[in-house]
Formats: sequence, structure tokens, C-alpha cells
Amino acid sequence: MSLFRIFINQDDDDDDMATSKKVITREEWEKKLNAVKLRKQDMNTLVMNFLVTEGYVDAAAKFQTESATKPEIDLATITDRMAVKKAVQNGHVEDAIEKVNDLNPEILDTNPELFFHLQQQRLIELIRQGKTEEALEFAQEELAPRGEENQAFLQELEKTVALLVFEDASNSPVKDLLDISHRLKTASEVNAAILTSQSHEKDPKLPSLLKMLIWAQNQLDEKAVYPHINDLSTGQLQDPPE
Amino acid sequence: MPTSSSSSSSFSSAASSSGNRQADVFSRLASSDPEVKLKALREVKNQIIGNRTKKLSFLKLGAVPAIASALSDSECNSILVQSAAALGSFACGFEAGVQAVLDAGVFPLLLRLLTSSDEKVVDAGARSLRMIFQSNQAPKYDFLQEKNMKFLFSLLNSENENVSGLGASIIAHACGTTVQQQVLCDAGVLEKLVILLDGSLSQREACLESLATVLKNNPEAVSRFVGLEAGRYLSSVTELTKDRYPRTRLLSCLCLVVIYNTSPSYFLNMGTKSSLVTTLLELLNDHGQSGDDAALGLSSLIAEKEDLQKLAYEANAIKNIVDILKTGSELHPKRLQGLFLSLAELCSKLEDCRCSFLSLEMLDLLVNALRHKNADVRTAACICFRNAARSVKVAVLGALSNIVLDFSSPKSTFIEYGGIKQLIELSKSMDPNARCSALRALRNLMFLADNKRKELFYSEVKAQGFVSLISDPEPTVQEQALALLRNLVDGCINSIEFVFDEDGLILDTVGKQLRKSPQAHMAIQGMYVLTNVASGTELHKEAVMQQLFPQPQAESNNFMLKFLQSHESQLRSATVWTIINLISPSSPGAHDRHVKLRDEGIIPQLKNMVNDACLDVKIRIRTVLSQSMSFGDN
Repeated sequence: MSLFRIFINQDDDDDDMATSKKVITREEWEKKLNAVKLRKQDMNTLVMNFLVTEGYVDAAAKFQTESATKPEIDLATITDRMAVKKAVQNGHVEDAIEKVNDLNPEILDTNPELFFHLQQQRLIELIRQGKTEEALEFAQEELAPRGEENQAFLQELEKTVALLVFEDASNSPVKDLLDISHRLKTASEVNAAILTSQSHEKDPKLPSLLKMLIWAQNQLDEKAVYPHINDLSTGQLQDPPE
Repeated sequence: MPTSSSSSSSFSSAASSSGNRQADVFSRLASSDPEVKLKALREVKNQIIGNRTKKLSFLKLGAVPAIASALSDSECNSILVQSAAALGSFACGFEAGVQAVLDAGVFPLLLRLLTSSDEKVVDAGARSLRMIFQSNQAPKYDFLQEKNMKFLFSLLNSENENVSGLGASIIAHACGTTVQQQVLCDAGVLEKLVILLDGSLSQREACLESLATVLKNNPEAVSRFVGLEAGRYLSSVTELTKDRYPRTRLLSCLCLVVIYNTSPSYFLNMGTKSSLVTTLLELLNDHGQSGDDAALGLSSLIAEKEDLQKLAYEANAIKNIVDILKTGSELHPKRLQGLFLSLAELCSKLEDCRCSFLSLEMLDLLVNALRHKNADVRTAACICFRNAARSVKVAVLGALSNIVLDFSSPKSTFIEYGGIKQLIELSKSMDPNARCSALRALRNLMFLADNKRKELFYSEVKAQGFVSLISDPEPTVQEQALALLRNLVDGCINSIEFVFDEDGLILDTVGKQLRKSPQAHMAIQGMYVLTNVASGTELHKEAVMQQLFPQPQAESNNFMLKFLQSHESQLRSATVWTIINLISPSSPGAHDRHVKLRDEGIIPQLKNMVNDACLDVKIRIRTVLSQSMSFGDN
């Protein structure tokens, strides 16, 4: 589906000099934009795609009711996936693992890197809770074998185990592992793996469109002066500098 | 990482408590209470998924037969699902697990699950069966039996993705002979499989794998496939080589490789051939299984096809492959085999390829590959080596590629002899880079080599050969030659005799080169040669003195002093080592040599260097000076 086709007029007596750029006023620009035709259902599909991929089940269901847009996957599978994501985000990694295995036992069996990251997160949570003995035991029983099975994990493994060495892990060189953002990173990884296993694309379309917009503006900047969208969240046009 | 043999109490308790936990859950598997059993099954399943180590330990406990009984005895859907999932996990990428699962008679039990009314039970059964079929140990599927064919098609027709995927998987892994391919095509399998091309990701991938198996080396099957809907599906597969998922790109490429190798006429378009080559080259960078398979796929594609080899060469294949081989990380044997075979194919006909390859200093890596524990890798490296060496028109030992290299076997000497001979020939190449690389490889081969190997090598080179190498016009080649010599005379005292062959011709040449104000790197190797010779007998030490201070000397040309004043710490160090060996107190002539060294200003120079910036040099000098003091020096 093609959503945007931006038309730019070029005068016949165009610049010979590479330095002089064409100036397009706000009025001209808005006129050109208004000439572009979009379909409402394309936009609805984009929104639905975003809600579904990010896992906003209730919002997706409501949006389906209100706009009669069909979700591209069964909303029930989203619920399962979101439960896993939420469990990781809340630090309940063991629970998340069980849920993933119920959903599809192949995912962790065929994704050694993901499995390692989940085990790693488990260790981090144990350390965060101050359960040092348990953490040590877990590190030896569950994480060390991952390093033996796959040399590629050794470096990250060492970094994680280093958390156990420091008295005050939250001020150590490896403290970013304890950061909540690490949970989010792991959660995102597991979300992507589930989406792929369900043959769904793991990234929503909306960010790609916005990236395309920014790229197109950068390209156009070399040739013309025109109103930009600088704030993606508002989409407001800003006048070109004098 | 501390192992369980550590004395720390928390570690040893960890090992035993985990063992206890495993034994505990194992005993609960046999419980007559369905709720307890279900919980235990789930626990085992969750412990083993993704965890090869746990799979092994549960296997040893005998978990597989226990779970198999749960599967056969129960009617409860939850128990069926959990036990099937656990068994599937045992079979996932774990050959011992597949063996255990098949031995426990699980196969028919899983088949039964496919007819269940509960979708989850069907899913679990289909997934686990698919795991089994990905292994070489999977039961042979007799396509020729009507009921088997019927069953297979019922699988392919299923709406359930896991079930249709199972059908495709069976074909992909069990179809081997032309007869089987024929029977499948006649029953309409191609028409069924291509429907899956338009399906989900996993269906597409399963379809591509099975297509490749059915079409392989079967021109009739290929023509049938291409004929479907006027070539629409061939175009689809070609399109899929640009898919966003690497595995899809790989499988579609492999499918096209099969078609191309079977019936090249469908690939008249140069563009398709070229993009097939470049896609496979890109996939080589994938770290996972796709990259491994891509390497073998590439070698199969360009095998015997000069035009494709040219395409690959122009797409920078040689540099890309060599870069991957040089990364230093442990590469899967399949990938190594594929990469070396690809290089071998590239070097088989094209002189440009060979030159490119040789200029990249790959010989060290090749020699290491010749020693790899995997036989296929060794063979591939050998073929590569043979093909690359063709450029110097060496008489090829054709049998080389047919003999499995094993350096511990009696045959290895013969092979080694052939390999060393080739390297010696290469060391005489017109191209200085080739000479350098060959010498570097030989240098490695002589490091800590036994006398037999050294004798073999020397008999091919002889004194005159060495003189030519050491006197090579290129300084880098001279350096490598001296380094090779250094390794040759290192070790056993008999090795030193090599430099005395033909009236000490080699030793004289070394001395001559050192007196010519050589570059530091060359001088370092030269001094280490002298160090090693000076570690020998009295005669050896005297011979070294002769080289250092030849009589008669018109002017003072004391290169030793110059070396001791060099900016290169290694050169200073090597020189000091020579001195240490010359005046080591245990030998009778040490005192006289010490006097000579003192008179030539060497010992006084060392006294000025007691605070040398390099720690190693400083320590060695202290050794010399303490030896010196023992001679009663003032």
C-alpha cells in the first residue's frame, strides 16, 4: 500500500549553481500536501498494526469495534504474548519462561541467545533481591553451563557474574545490568521471538514511516527550503527560516 | 568458573542439591496422582527446554522412558501435551535425546496424538515429531506404501501449521532416492508443497526445504516444478532470495542451487545467477546455522562452473571468505568445510583467484585446518591447498584429496612430505608474498618438530637452498627464512648440525648477512639463530665466535655493539642471549671467550646497560655480568 507520494515541482529554468536552493513557502507547501490523497482504511490498518505488535490488546479490541478494522492476528495470541512480556518487565523471569514454553516450546529450544538472556535476567533479579547464596547457586547450576555450551556467551557471562563480586553492585562498573532498562531489553527480545514464531513481523510499520519522513526531509534539504516537521509527536509544520 | 571440585562449601552443596532436586522431580513423574504427575512433567519440561546440560542429566536418570509411560498410559489432555512437549524437547537438536526417545517407543504414541480432537494435543504431537524428523536417526519413511502416502498427504492438507509443517519435514528429511522423488511427484506433492509457499513463515521455510529434496538431481521433477502455472513458482522462489528473513533467503537460495545444478537451462539470465552468488556470499556472515549452510551451498553452486566462479571472484568472495576464516572464533566444522571447499573451487581454474588467495597470507590457517579434528574439514583444506598451489605448476599428488589426513597415522608422514614439498616449491615462487607465506608456514611446521620432520625438510632444501632463501632480495623473505632456520636448529642438540652442513655454508651466510647492517627484524632472527647454535657444544660455540669476530678483520666491524645499541629491545635481548650462551660457565672455553668479548668492548658495553629500559634485557644483562664476575673480572 502506498501512503505518501510527495510531488515537488521543478521549474524549467532551474539552478545551475549547486548552492542556491528552491524556496517553498508555507502556503505553497500546504497546498501540495492537501493534494495528496490518503485512504482512511490504510491509516486504520497502520494503527491496528501498531497496537497489535506492541501488544495493546484491549485498545486493539476496542479499535476493532469502533473502526471495523480487522486485526492481522488473533487477539487471543496477543494476550499470551503480553503476559510473557509483562512478567519479564516485572522481574518474574521464571514465570515468563514457563509461559513461553506453554505458548510454544520450540522458541527457547531454538533460540540459545534468548534463553541465555532470560537466565541472565533471572540471576540479575536474584542479586537485586539480595539473595546472594541462591544467586551463586543459580550462577553455577544454570548460567555456567550456558557458557560451556556456547563460547560466544562467555564474555557476557563474566560481566554478569561480576555483579556477585562487588559489595555494592549498584555502584560497580557493571551496574547497568541492574537497571530497569535491562529488563525492558530482555522483554523486548522475548516479544520479538514470539512474534517471529507466530510468523508475524516483530516491528510495527509506524516507526518505519516516520524514519522515511525524516530521511526524505534530509534528502530534500539539499535541494530546497521548505516547512519541516520537526516534532514528530505533533506533526506541526514549521516555517522555513528567512 | 569454579567447578564442583572446588572446596567451597556453597558450590559443592549446589551440585548435590541440584542432583537431589532432579531425583525428586523424577520420582514424582511416576506418581499415580495425576495432578502430581502433571506438575512433575511440567517441571521437567521447563527445566530441559533450551538447556542441553539438563537434557543430558535427566536422560541419564532415565527420564525418557518414564515420560513415555505417562504419554502412553494417560487419557488426560494436559498430561499428553506436557509429556509430548518434554519428549520433543529431548529430541530437539540433541542426538542422544532422539535416540532415547525412539528407543522408548515414543514414535507411534506421538503419531496417535495427531488425531486428537484437542488442538493443543495435535500441536504438541506434530512439533515433537518434526523434531525427530530433523535428525538422521529418524525412522525411514516408506513413501512407496500407499497408506503412508495417504497419511503424508493428509498431513500436508491440514489447516494446522504444525501438522502441514510436519508433512513437509518428513519429505525434506526422508526423501532420498530418485524412485521416492518420482513417486512423490506422481502423487502430486509438488502441487501441495507450493501452496505452502504462500503461507506463514514456517510453512514457507518447510516448503523450500522439501522442494530442494524432491527436485535434487531429478530433471523430470524440476521441469514439472517449473511448469507449474507457467513458471510462477520458480519466480516466487527467486523472489524469496530477497526476503527479510535470513533463513528464508538461505533456503530459497539452496533450492535454486539444486535447480541450477540439475537443469541449468532455466537460468539463462545472468542477473539471476549473479544475485544468487551475492546473496549466498552475504549469508556467509550470518553467525548461526544459516551461515554454515550458506558456505556449503556456495561451494555446491560454483563447483565446476567457471562462469560462476568468476562472478564470485568479482564479488570479492575470496577476501570475504578469508576474513571470516581469520576472525579467530571457533567456526562450526560444517562452515569450515564449506568455506574451504568454496575457496578450493574458486582456485580450481582461475589464476587470478589463486594469486589473490596466496597474497592474503592464508597458509598458516590452511596448515592449521590440515590438522583439524574433523575429517571433512581436513579434506576440504587439502583440496584448497592443492588447487591454490597449482599456480606454481607443481606436480600434483592427485591422491592427496582422496586420502583422509590424520597426522598420527603412518600415512601422515607421506602426506606431510607432500605438503612440505609443496611449500618448498612455493618458497621459490616469483611472487615475494607467496615466498613469504610459504616460509611462514614452514616456520610453523618446524616449530617443535621432531627430528624426522626436520630431516625430511632439510633433505629437500639442503644448504644451498637455505643460502638462497637467506640471501633473498626481499628483506621480509630473508627475515622469514632466518626465523625458519631458528626453529630448525632449536630443540635437540643434533638440530644444530644443519648449519654446519657443507663446511658450515649456512652459518657463514648468516654471519655474512648480519655483518651487512641488516634491518632490525632480520637481525633479531639472525641473532636467535646464533643463540641457538651457541647453546650447543664447545665446537658450536667456537663457530659462533668465528662469525662474530672473523679473522682477519681489516677494520672494526663489530655488529654486536651496534645491535646492543639498537632501539629494538628484542634485538638487544637476542644479542645478550647469545652472549649468555657463549660464556655459560659450564663449558671449558668459556673463560677465553669471555676475555675476547671483554677485549672487543662487548662486556664494558653491557655494564653501561645495567639500567636498560626493557626489563627482559635488564635481567639478561645481570645474568651475563654475574657470569662475568665468576671469571674474576674487574
